[in-house]
Amino acid sequence: MAREKNYGNPSLEGKLKDRYYYSDDTNRDFTQEVEKIGRTIAHMCYQCGTCTGSCPSAPRSSYRIRLFMRRAVLGLEEEALTDPDLWLCTTCYSCTDRCPRDIAPTDVIMAMRNLAARRDIVPRNFLKTVQAIYKTGHGVPNNDVNRAARVKLGMDAEPPTTCGFPEYIEGIKAIIDHYGLKDRADRILSEGE
Amino acid sequence: MAEKKEARIGVFVCHCGTNIAGSIDVEAVKEYAKTLPNVVHADDYQYVCSTPGQTMIADAIKEHNLTGTVVAACSPRLHEPTFRMATKVGGLNPFRFEMANIREQNSWVHMHDREGATEKAKDSVRIAVAKASLLEDLIPKSVPVEKAAMVVGAGVAGMQAALDLANAGIKTYLIERSPTIGGRMSQLDKTFPTLDCSQCILTPKMVDVGRNTNIELMTYTEVEEVEGYIGNFEITLRKKARGVLSPDEAEAKGIVGGGCNGCGDCVDVCPVIKGNEFEFEMAPRKAVYIYHPQVVPNLYTVDFNTCIKCGLCVEACGDKKAIDLEMVDEFVKVKVGTAILATGYDLFPIENKTEWGYKKYENVITGLEFERLICASGPTGGHLIRPSDGETPKKVAFVLCAGSRDNTGVGKPYCSRFCCMYSLKHAHQIIEKIPGAQPYILYMDIRSFGKMYEEFYYRIQDEGAKFIRGRVANILEDATTKNLHVFAEDTLLQRPIDLEVDLVVLASAVQPTAGADTVRKLFGVSCSQDGWMLEAHPKLNPCGTTTAGVFLAGVCQGPKDIPDTVAQAEGAASAASIPIHRGEVELEPYFAQCVEEKCAGCGMCVNLCPYSALALVEKEGRQVMQVTEAKCKGCGTCGGFCPGGAIRMQHFTTPQIVAQIDAFLLGGEQ
Repeated sequence: MAREKNYGNPSLEGKLKDRYYYSDDTNRDFTQEVEKIGRTIAHMCYQCGTCTGSCPSAPRSSYRIRLFMRRAVLGLEEEALTDPDLWLCTTCYSCTDRCPRDIAPTDVIMAMRNLAARRDIVPRNFLKTVQAIYKTGHGVPNNDVNRAARVKLGMDAEPPTTCGFPEYIEGIKAIIDHYGLKDRADRILSEGE
Repeated sequence: MAEKKEARIGVFVCHCGTNIAGSIDVEAVKEYAKTLPNVVHADDYQYVCSTPGQTMIADAIKEHNLTGTVVAACSPRLHEPTFRMATKVGGLNPFRFEMANIREQNSWVHMHDREGATEKAKDSVRIAVAKASLLEDLIPKSVPVEKAAMVVGAGVAGMQAALDLANAGIKTYLIERSPTIGGRMSQLDKTFPTLDCSQCILTPKMVDVGRNTNIELMTYTEVEEVEGYIGNFEITLRKKARGVLSPDEAEAKGIVGGGCNGCGDCVDVCPVIKGNEFEFEMAPRKAVYIYHPQVVPNLYTVDFNTCIKCGLCVEACGDKKAIDLEMVDEFVKVKVGTAILATGYDLFPIENKTEWGYKKYENVITGLEFERLICASGPTGGHLIRPSDGETPKKVAFVLCAGSRDNTGVGKPYCSRFCCMYSLKHAHQIIEKIPGAQPYILYMDIRSFGKMYEEFYYRIQDEGAKFIRGRVANILEDATTKNLHVFAEDTLLQRPIDLEVDLVVLASAVQPTAGADTVRKLFGVSCSQDGWMLEAHPKLNPCGTTTAGVFLAGVCQGPKDIPDTVAQAEGAASAASIPIHRGEVELEPYFAQCVEEKCAGCGMCVNLCPYSALALVEKEGRQVMQVTEAKCKGCGTCGGFCPGGAIRMQHFTTPQIVAQIDAFLLGGEQ
């Protein structure tokens, strides 16, 4: 039952660490923080699995939203925030539509991403998306294939967004700068190089 | 008896929708029946038990001048009364009907063998026709019903049943083994899901029971012997030596103004200290004691197993002269028409599941011990403590299905049904009473099936209880801190867990009380394979038993919570009052009859009879056997044994049975 094995060797200590969940692994503040940011009653989850069953990402990935709900209930901060699967949610909100306890699992995921980002835990593709939005106003910028398709369908080649009105990109930049998002993304990306 | 009239039998084959017709060729069975000796009419119908089906039987009896009917359908346990009635409507004696069971004993078990099932159905019909050809008119006998009832066990089930019977105007003997009524419910602190104080809602009922003039309350009393049958049970009761006289008993002995008034002066002087069973021995009592201040009746009891007869209590009692240390058990006989068994439950000895360490680790307790520890009138005044050091526990693990849903042979295979809910309530109570407390509920499934129960589950989760889906594998104690490590898998996290907690509460399985088996056998009630008393039908007759006039209420029939217990008690009381209000019951006329010219008066049958229904009497200068028909159950023990063949079993006569055997063996050839 002793959790410290006292091998006197930090790498061995990490390697031989057991996989038990201990009662003091629970961080109650984490549950409360997730509920505050997500504005949903995550602690009421009874783990029926309707969320994972509804999830379009689940059959195509290792993402199991029920598992993140469980981590929210138990306050397993480390496990939740360091799991790369956290970023596989497409935020389609199917789980939120169907949750029988009227919880919004999607918002729990968003809250966890939020908390992860505070600790600079964000996948590189997400950071690059931030840069793309900063530059073009779009996460996925317009391209030639798209433009051709739009013309063929009788629309303008550029949609009525920042593509058609590039003068508004400055406004978007102002918003992103207000939250320091671009600088943060640049910093993390450069540190990772 | 209609003498030697030629038998004319009608056969009716039922389809029972597809229950029978799906695996038996009903048409072929009908055509076959027409070829049998004595059969003058055969027909088939979708549902013979339906009104048109019954009319078909009655009409055929008149049209074809039948002397007997055979219905090939379901079990006689279901529709024998229906078809007897139809036979009677047709103008025949209802006992001129015979049933061939081609459903439970045929179509349902031979679903995939149509040919074989059809042949077997033909055999059954042939055998039934052979018997029907020899059936005789029988007249049921009515016996008067004693206008009194008995209820065994005075927990909430027994009390409710007794109150209902008494309020319906029936004299009711309420028998309780322990010194007070109230049962398990009086040990509980609060009840789910309403969180009513258990004592507060129970004591008014206890007082009602004590005051009701139609209830004769007999505490510290056990059933010793049961004789008789529905309407006329003669029951011997053992009034255990209580060592204390009630005011009435004292007056009967000429001690005016004496008897126990519950003052408790005797307790102060008694030098013997023992554990109080009511508090699971977590509090002391003296050799002269009451369980708790709200006992009904308010009488002290001397525990003669530990009393040293020093006589100090007798002196302290003084002029009231309530204490008699030389008292011995007394036997009382009462006569009742019907009886209700409500013997309740005990906790399963959970220490038998050694991996959870009950009775080995001080801080592992049962749910009922938790009730006493959290109860304001309990040994700690409602302050939940760790037994090891008296500290207030902060982290508490509740182990559900402790000994329930266990097929190892150590525990119980069934669900104990109320543990989920009381554990939720316990979690609520510690959150409410102990600031910062964290309950962990380790469960396999949460069965919150009753009215407002699921809502209660929601509420407790919202209050902060942590639910961990996984059965507890084992519990280890930290020898220095006396904390407990609970090992399980969080099956939802798919990770093993090691929870360090201050206190573990085992939601132990329940089992029938120690004396339940004795009581059950005295009343001739069977038990199901799990040991609980067996109801007459699990769905359609849940209060009755296979012994006429004996009914069941509460957990003795199977685990149930308070609402279900009270509902069943009211049902049992209603069922038990019916024969009493009717005033007489009709007995099936399957009596043994003595053929006196053959009887040698050997008397061997008299000792064999399990119902004491037979006796030797003097007739025309010699001994012959005589049957008390009301006591005879028609079991056939005497008839099978009689060396002279002098005992005739009505409705199961030797010629009738031989005809059935012949019909089977000879395949219809005479």
